[in-house]
Amino acid sequence: MRFLMTTLAGVAAPDDKLEAEMGALIEEMVRTGVLLATGGLEPGLHVSSSGGQITVTDGPFTEAKESIVSFALIEARSTEEAVELSRRFFKIVGDGQGRIQQVHGPDLDPR
Amino acid sequence: MTSRYAHGVVDAVWKLESARIIAGLARMAGDVGLAEEFAQDALLAALEQWPGSGVPDNPGAWLMAIAKRRAIDHLRRDVRLDRRHEQLAHELTNREDPGDREIDTALDALDGEVGDDVLRLMFVSCHPVLATESRVAMTLRLVGGLRTDEIARAFLVPEATLAQRIVRAKRTLATRRIPFEVPDGPERAARLASVLEVVYLVFNEGYAATSGDDWTRPALCVEALRLGRSLAELMPDETEVHGLVALMELQQSRAAARTGPAGEPVPIQEQNRGRWDRLLIQRGFAALLRARAAGGPPGPYMLQAAIAACHAQARAAEQTDWSKIVALYEVLVRSLPTPVVRLNRAVAIAMAHGPPAGLVLVDELVAEPAMRRYHLTAAVRGDLLARLGRYGEARAEFERAASLTRNGPEHAILLRRAAECEETALPPSGAPAVTFAEVVAAFLAGPGLTAETVRSYGQTLTRLLRYVGGDAPLPAVTPARVAEAFADAWGTAAAATWNRHRAAVRSFTAWAGRPDRGLLTSDLAAGLRRRPEPRGRTRPVDPRRLAALLERGDLALRERVLWTVLHESAAPARWVLALDVENLDLDAMRGRVTTPRAGDGAAAGGVRWVTWRSGAARLLPGLIAGRRRGPLFLTDRRPGPARAAGRDLCPHTGRGRLSYERAEYLFKRATRELDPEGEGLTLRRLRGPGRADEPG
Repeated sequence: MRFLMTTLAGVAAPDDKLEAEMGALIEEMVRTGVLLATGGLEPGLHVSSSGGQITVTDGPFTEAKESIVSFALIEARSTEEAVELSRRFFKIVGDGQGRIQQVHGPDLDPR
Repeated sequence: MTSRYAHGVVDAVWKLESARIIAGLARMAGDVGLAEEFAQDALLAALEQWPGSGVPDNPGAWLMAIAKRRAIDHLRRDVRLDRRHEQLAHELTNREDPGDREIDTALDALDGEVGDDVLRLMFVSCHPVLATESRVAMTLRLVGGLRTDEIARAFLVPEATLAQRIVRAKRTLATRRIPFEVPDGPERAARLASVLEVVYLVFNEGYAATSGDDWTRPALCVEALRLGRSLAELMPDETEVHGLVALMELQQSRAAARTGPAGEPVPIQEQNRGRWDRLLIQRGFAALLRARAAGGPPGPYMLQAAIAACHAQARAAEQTDWSKIVALYEVLVRSLPTPVVRLNRAVAIAMAHGPPAGLVLVDELVAEPAMRRYHLTAAVRGDLLARLGRYGEARAEFERAASLTRNGPEHAILLRRAAECEETALPPSGAPAVTFAEVVAAFLAGPGLTAETVRSYGQTLTRLLRYVGGDAPLPAVTPARVAEAFADAWGTAAAATWNRHRAAVRSFTAWAGRPDRGLLTSDLAAGLRRRPEPRGRTRPVDPRRLAALLERGDLALRERVLWTVLHESAAPARWVLALDVENLDLDAMRGRVTTPRAGDGAAAGGVRWVTWRSGAARLLPGLIAGRRRGPLFLTDRRPGPARAAGRDLCPHTGRGRLSYERAEYLFKRATRELDPEGEGLTLRRLRGPGRADEPG
């Protein structure tokens, strides 16, 4: 089961200690074959399509706290495992919000 | 937290942590089975406590602390308790919940050298003293953290059976005192091979599952990928570990595309490449690069990954580099000559060189009993026959394939293909005829031809192709056309040259005209007369070297006898191979053969005598070994029923007559070092000079 885990804006800025701990968590997740891809995200552009018209704006967006600042694509055995990994992530970054979404695929859990 | 959810959390944590916990405990306890029991105790404690108290901050360390406490309780009870353990035991209290200090100790235990412990755990779980099925069960249980019921469901066996399997495996490891270590030296490679085999078995078990199956089966692919990825992190210098990871990533990248809506398998050429997982393809390429960087010769996993990478690189099926795939299979088949690899090689060759070339190889495979029962052999054969326009035979093969598969949707597809063959077979001029060029390519790609022969025959046939046109349908190539081409090309050439080219056409005619191929009905060499030429062209093998060869300790008796008879009798190999036990006169040191083939003029048919001397006379009774009838020289294996003709079958053993091609191959292999060109010597070299040549 593949999950996209995202973190929303509002988590604390990383310091050296946080970076080191996060590095260790990522290394561990790579080592156990869980983590497929991860990265931090820029605020980016806003694209909207309306009546065949594409409009691109470069923010700032009104719903800043809704914007995604980092993501991890993981291969987990169960939703609980994804939650547990998320718990480990937030234990390092502190208070904040995120999302866990299963990615559609051939093995989308039919339980 | 609801109890069901809490159990899910405990299970998730357990799967993430159990390998490290069990591995750490196994190093302490020196026994994997005991370690697992201690860890299971900790799991039970978690299931009791976490629903009430919540998941602790560091659940892995919590589990480790409890498990260690159980381990020390156990060691304390042990009469052989030593001071070190006593001291450790003193440090622990009997509180149910571990204290900070205990957690810290556990954390240290989980950090330090735990990677090496997990690696040891993998090697011990895959130890060769265990049966393969037990290795798989132990690996999933101890390293993957799967529950017995999960493994049982995934492998479609009763839970009790699987539990018993694990109990027995643990007992075997304990009673045989298998050390908790990764071995060094020569044993290491063999043991690593076992680990890789187990991981790939798990992957394939998941890959074989179809969409209708229990979700635990496809999940085995992910489990195997995780095992492989961890292994690659733990053994970064092992080429084949990365090779296996690359292979699994690339195969898994096609997971969404490889089955159709009804769960039927979709062949790779027909898959929707848009559904291939680019992320896994990238990971596969990256792993393949790591495998190359690790150095060393490419092993079977790396080669298979390289083949998978060829497919992944092609944006569309038509862009597939089949000749590169064929080249990779040629290397792979040397180290991994399994029926499946050979079947896939045949498919690749059919794609690269046309269906006739593939069919030749598939026909060889059909001779093997295990392959006859494999539905894909029949399906591939049916496909190639259909592409050659031989719809009647193709239909029969598809029907046979359908009867052999257990996959419902696949069964339906095969029957549909059989029905299509029936419809197509009705109009006689349905499919485009096979071209001369395709058949030539098939002939030259076939087995039993040495590189030298291919080069030589290739010259002849290329010239013919140019004369009659490569796109010409095979039926347009008549004996008269061939005779014209010969007069044009070699009319004034030396007799030996003429005869060499003539031999190529004869060989091609014999091959294409074989009844089961049915490509040719006329003898293309009919208009070509053999030209007389000086004899004694073949230089016999040096007698001292021959003697040394026959003395070799690893030489099979059959080869020793055959080569001795050939040398002593100077008879053509085809006669010697045609010898039957009932026609031997051992006292007179000779045997009678009736040459079955219609040959050239005086040499055609008739009774021949093969006369040997004392060397062969001494060896023959051992080879006959009490047999009264049937071929003297037999194959190693029994042929499939369809291949067995009555007089070429031994009534005692059921084996077939040794073929010329096989005998020649074996001699070439044995004499490779004697040949400056490295090809090995032909059987003819066993015969003295100036003796009667075999016709043609």
